[in-house]
Amino acid sequence: MKLSIRHSTEYRYSELVQHSTQYLRLTPRPSPRQQILSWEMDLPEQAERASDGYNNILHVLTLDRPHQEIRLAVKGQVEITDEDSEDADQRLSPLVFSRFTALTQPDEALLELAGRQPQLAMPARLERLSETILEEMPFSPGATDVASSAAQAYRGGKGVCQDHTHVFLACCRALGMPARYVSGYLYSQDSEHVASHAWAEVWRDDSWHTYDVTNQTCRPRHHLKLAVGLDYMDACPVRGVRFGGGVESLQAVARVRQSGSPDSQ
Amino acid sequence: MRSLRMPAVSGFDEMIGPASEVRSHYAGYHDWLLRQDSRDLQRKRKEAELQFHRVGITFNVYGEDSGTERLIPFDTLPRMIPAREWALLERGAIQRVQALNLFLHDIYHDQKIIRDGRIPAEQVFGNAQYQPCMQDVDLPNQVYSQISGVDLIRDGEGTWYVLEDNLRTPSGVSYMIENRRMMMRLFPELFAQQTVAPVEHYPSLLLETLQHSAVHSHPTVVLLTPGRFNSAYFEHAFLAQQMGIELVEGADLFVKEGFVYMRTTAGPQRVDVIYRRIDDAFLDPLAFRSDSMLGVPGLLSVYREGKVVLANAVGTGVADDKSIYPYVPEMIRFYLDEEPILANVPTWQCRRDNELKHVLARLPELVVKEVHGAGGYGMLVGPAASEQEIEQFRQRLLAAPDNYIAQPTLSLSTCPIFVDEGIAPRHIDLRPFVLSGYDTRVVPGGLTRVAMKAGSLVVNSSQGGGTKDTWVLEDDPC
Repeated sequence: MKLSIRHSTEYRYSELVQHSTQYLRLTPRPSPRQQILSWEMDLPEQAERASDGYNNILHVLTLDRPHQEIRLAVKGQVEITDEDSEDADQRLSPLVFSRFTALTQPDEALLELAGRQPQLAMPARLERLSETILEEMPFSPGATDVASSAAQAYRGGKGVCQDHTHVFLACCRALGMPARYVSGYLYSQDSEHVASHAWAEVWRDDSWHTYDVTNQTCRPRHHLKLAVGLDYMDACPVRGVRFGGGVESLQAVARVRQSGSPDSQ
Repeated sequence: MRSLRMPAVSGFDEMIGPASEVRSHYAGYHDWLLRQDSRDLQRKRKEAELQFHRVGITFNVYGEDSGTERLIPFDTLPRMIPAREWALLERGAIQRVQALNLFLHDIYHDQKIIRDGRIPAEQVFGNAQYQPCMQDVDLPNQVYSQISGVDLIRDGEGTWYVLEDNLRTPSGVSYMIENRRMMMRLFPELFAQQTVAPVEHYPSLLLETLQHSAVHSHPTVVLLTPGRFNSAYFEHAFLAQQMGIELVEGADLFVKEGFVYMRTTAGPQRVDVIYRRIDDAFLDPLAFRSDSMLGVPGLLSVYREGKVVLANAVGTGVADDKSIYPYVPEMIRFYLDEEPILANVPTWQCRRDNELKHVLARLPELVVKEVHGAGGYGMLVGPAASEQEIEQFRQRLLAAPDNYIAQPTLSLSTCPIFVDEGIAPRHIDLRPFVLSGYDTRVVPGGLTRVAMKAGSLVVNSSQGGGTKDTWVLEDDPC
């Protein structure tokens, strides 16, 4: 499936920002699953291209002149092929993804959730876990924020894809299974749906397998992967630090369309 | 003081032998001591205290009222090590640090030691101190720990052991230097009488080590401190001044176009080497803890591209973690094909069921330590603990056995200190500082820490420990 993506993120500040530095994970890495046909970034200044510890493509953007807004825009075209599992990236040991982080530290309730259905065999048990998470914390924007931990979100009984993924990761790791956070874009015919997305991958049988809790799918057919990491903090598309600026307001618009379809113009 | 009276020693004393005889390397000092007037010695102790206050050698203590600065107690009776004994310690410490550096390079590259089955993979990769961002990053000279502190102790028999390796931001070297200066000022005659190996050149060796860690010659080196509220701030300022380099805080540095720059009155200046005294977690708020105000946003991206050197490297903590400690002798055999010169303290890993059982059965005799703990916090000293404390610790152990290791209670050797009644034995340890640049070097001696309370085994300065000057005697009288 050929997808075209447009994503713009605009930060506005109530006061002048003196200096800001951002880590941008807004460029997908090509793989047999995702072929990058074109990709462009429109940034206020030239950014340094680097990579991070998870082999994500990273751009480092430093703005050292006073500014009151930062506008980041990307657009591109990709071809997604329908494959069951990801390539095994042998560079990093999957065991790295067994550790808990501040956002995925399980509390009693999450440990109880992870311990359910012990009679089920492994892929089935994870699918059941994924179903249970969505049942117990239905998709509801605004109930959580980017800093919410898995334990907090699960306690609140609501969440978005980031929370579903964190809860799922916390449970997998509690079960001793390496699991990682994926941030990226999702194509959905329902244009109301959020195009900026997060899901999980679990290491089993020597490869990574997709678990998209929010959409209850294990087939990443409409998923374009931007970055992976231990949690949101590692993989998020934009992470920045600023000096000054006062109150920040954010406007982000992401659109993913099927290329060649009438609305792709 | 005509005769030297000291309370009986139960274990190994550095100065007094088993038949109450003065050990031969202390003979000259002992003769001198007998000739001294006790009021003179008392006066010198007061003078030392006054001088240290004046120089500003103080230590911030966490957990006490804000702004608490405390003087680390300094004892004027030197701890002496004969040259022959030091030669062994030096070779042992160098061997160990070389193996640890090779280990770090290996686990962040080919992981041969894991593939060879010498260390379980989950012990390394499951360890929070293993930094994925360091995988396949090539460092100049393959040196990870440029500055290492190897903590040594002796048991009741006088046998030396390595208690722990400090490869993150080991501190205390400023006391080693200041203690020597103080002793030379107070007792110049002692230094005329015997040859004590010098330590004053440590800052120039350190600077050389830092310069050698850079990719090109004439690098700009800075010392990055968390700031004046840090417990070791005095040392940061002291070392920067001694080396003639800038002392900077995170806000003085910034990242632009793939390099690190320092803000100066003459405009931005590129920085090549950062001697950082900030933990990994605080180095770069964009990569590690986002609430860190101490680090430099973007630093990790520059570091990974090899455009700046950090000393020590990111991710060294995986090698000095207490859960990895039991494997160091194996590292020495694996990488150097040598037998360890210095022994490890026997260690039980509570993550193993049979070892946990053994530990639980013998809690009152053992020292139990948190795997990721430091500074003497979070540990149980069985023989010194109440029944209730032991029971509380048992519950903690049972709840998370993976978090603990246990060791026999080693008595630690003693060395006399001056007390109001004369002299009295107190437990001590030794931290030599090992520098790794083009080659691996140690300044003779190191920092001797003293448990100032009679019978106490806790030498950490954060818990009331003091220090002594450490003399490596160059001409061995034996």
